[in-house]
Amino acid sequence: MGTLTAQDERSKISVRNLNFYYGRFHALKGVNLDIPEKKVTAFIGPSGCGKSTLLRTFNRMYELYPDQRAEGEIVLDGENLLASKKDVALIRARVGMVFQKPTPFPMSIYDNIAFGVRLFENLSATDMDERVEWALRKAALWGEVKDKLSQSGAGLSGGQQQRLCIARGIAIKPEVLLLDEPCSALDPISTGKIEELIAELKADYTVVIVTHNMQQAARVSDYTAYMYLGDLVEVGQTEQLFFKPRRKETEDYITGRFG
Amino acid sequence: MADKHLSTQFDSELSAVSTRVMEMGGMVESQIRTAVYALSQFNEEAADQVIETEARVNLMEVDIDRELSSIIARRQPTARDLRLLVAISKTTANLERAGDEAEKIARMVKSIIGSGAARNLPASELRTEADLASGLLRKALDGLARLDVNVAVSILKEDDLIDREFDGFVRKLITYMMEDPRTISPSLDLLFVAKAIERIGDHAKNIAEFIIYVVKGADVRHSSMETIESVVK
Amino acid sequence: MSGTGERLAMEALRMQERERIYAQRKRVNQIGLALSLAAMAFGIFWLLWILWETVRLGLGGLTWATLTQMTPPPNDAGGIANAIYGSFLMVTLATFVGTPIGIMAGIYLAEYDTKGWLGSLTRFVNDILLSAPSIVIGLFVYAVVVARFKGFSGWAGVVALALIVIPVVIRTTENMLSLVPAGLREAAYALGAPKWKVIMSITLRAARAGVVTGVLLAVARISGETAPLLFTALNNQFWTSSLSEPMSSLPVTIFKFAMSPYENWQQLAWAGVFLITAAVLGLNILARVLTRTKI
Repeated sequence: MGTLTAQDERSKISVRNLNFYYGRFHALKGVNLDIPEKKVTAFIGPSGCGKSTLLRTFNRMYELYPDQRAEGEIVLDGENLLASKKDVALIRARVGMVFQKPTPFPMSIYDNIAFGVRLFENLSATDMDERVEWALRKAALWGEVKDKLSQSGAGLSGGQQQRLCIARGIAIKPEVLLLDEPCSALDPISTGKIEELIAELKADYTVVIVTHNMQQAARVSDYTAYMYLGDLVEVGQTEQLFFKPRRKETEDYITGRFG
Repeated sequence: MADKHLSTQFDSELSAVSTRVMEMGGMVESQIRTAVYALSQFNEEAADQVIETEARVNLMEVDIDRELSSIIARRQPTARDLRLLVAISKTTANLERAGDEAEKIARMVKSIIGSGAARNLPASELRTEADLASGLLRKALDGLARLDVNVAVSILKEDDLIDREFDGFVRKLITYMMEDPRTISPSLDLLFVAKAIERIGDHAKNIAEFIIYVVKGADVRHSSMETIESVVK
Repeated sequence: MSGTGERLAMEALRMQERERIYAQRKRVNQIGLALSLAAMAFGIFWLLWILWETVRLGLGGLTWATLTQMTPPPNDAGGIANAIYGSFLMVTLATFVGTPIGIMAGIYLAEYDTKGWLGSLTRFVNDILLSAPSIVIGLFVYAVVVARFKGFSGWAGVVALALIVIPVVIRTTENMLSLVPAGLREAAYALGAPKWKVIMSITLRAARAGVVTGVLLAVARISGETAPLLFTALNNQFWTSSLSEPMSSLPVTIFKFAMSPYENWQQLAWAGVFLITAAVLGLNILARVLTRTKI
């Protein structure tokens, strides 16, 4: 049960009849959804509604854990990711993810960025330098770290670390960027900087963001999907959803009539 | 108005501001009634009362707007709550102007009384139009309190009646003025009164449009009756 | 007004009661603190005494000759150079043999088999080995290596020591790797890294300090083990650099010399004790330093 977006947009990811299980627990129930290309789509909903679960199916992150499984179709540019015979690493190179807690690798800032790039590309030293700089500029971090690229990533502040993780994610030039509550561990100013960043990123990437902060979804996204207990309740243009949602459940949630 | 928020504070703030709007509405309603009474009886005292109330009405408008800004800043309202607050803001503006019109009527009445030609004017003819207008305003406030779209639609239809009454009255005045040119000056005053009453009806109509805005999320200002009816279905 | 008067009186009573209870608690606290300090002093006293005696007796017998000459017959002048060399050689080799095995097994347990039957079995057996008396290990190697090859040798000693290193390294490696947060691994996978790369470049690297500490602690432990060497490398009065012969080592030499009635031997034994203590102390300090500076 779910609703498709009214599409004038090209759909980058099409989810069809997706069911997800944690062991016996039925976490996602027949989700149907289109993620429009080069736009920001937000997933909102109360705790436990399945929004992070849904996000993590897009890059098959759940495969790290044996008792989690997904059934259905997730079509990225015509190819069903769930049935793909290709190495999952190749999928993850196209669909990148940034997590809630900033996790800089135990290496220099430069190496943090270069790590992902080195997995798939063989760049010369100058090319790699360029790529690292490009990624850090895109993440609005270059100015703050350009003189300490050889220092450990762990020495940065929380907001900077998260931007480092974002730079790391975009350095491999994915097509889709998944953000799982990227700002919840950050202060308001860092949050603001990252929201600015998201607005710029959508020029080049399809962005999907999970957030428990409704106002953030309202500020940042073009499309918003409201989920509850594993169901996709409503999805639509953010303006529309926050001004006059079609479903009473959605309105009750966003106006704070229930948590 | 509708079910409760998780935040009881928010609920009480909303209900407080709604109550104040109804209070303001009541005040303006009584202003209009008093103005109409002053008109039909050519009662100077009543007219003065209307003019005095004006200051309190203006104060309420400022107060309510301040309350609204505060709620919007602190609560980041969305959907229904947002539309309600926008509607309330527009309603207070319309009420304040309706109050202005009532004040204008009162001033005209005083001027007519001053000119001495009072008794001979067909002021009682205005009674119908005036009752229609104040009734419409009462209905609009009532509809807003209950967020009743059907009431809103019927108000929008009835506004036509007021316009027709107004046109009829203008014709009558013209014949009257043609009969006796000495009555032109006070007649013109009366014309302004009629216009003011007609505008009160318009303000009631505006409030009704915002009832539809809150409930249906559609802005039906400047729309045809057909569009409005299809929105409400 | 009497109402307020009553209230004030009750307030005052409550304050008094509170103060009394607090004073009592304070007394109990002080007694407890005194007892803890006494216990600590008791423990430290013995430790300091041991260290003091070691330094006094060991340093006294530590001369250049001690470090350069071979173990002498009783009542002759000499040193413990061959013992030092033997210990050093066997400990180093045992570490080189045991560490890779231990680390790889630790990686298996932490990254590949957290819940399966093989992992659980391995952990169980490892825990047993970890607490096995080293003399048992010594006897085992005696039966398997020495008896087989019909001779005591340095190699047997190396095997015995390695068998002590391995469980320690497995345990510490597994523990340190499990402490690496899942988020770090997920971030690496999300970039498209294959499993082995995540383990080598990210997880192991993040746990680097802890793993190295584990190895250092294992080394510190085997530096002082006597029992396993008694039945394997035995001892050798003379210099030997060949591991296929019996080899002398500090712990065994100390054992032999300390129990003897000869004074010069006892002197050398103390020097040996001092050297081992200094080495173990140094390794422990190094381990601490490494865990503090997080790279």
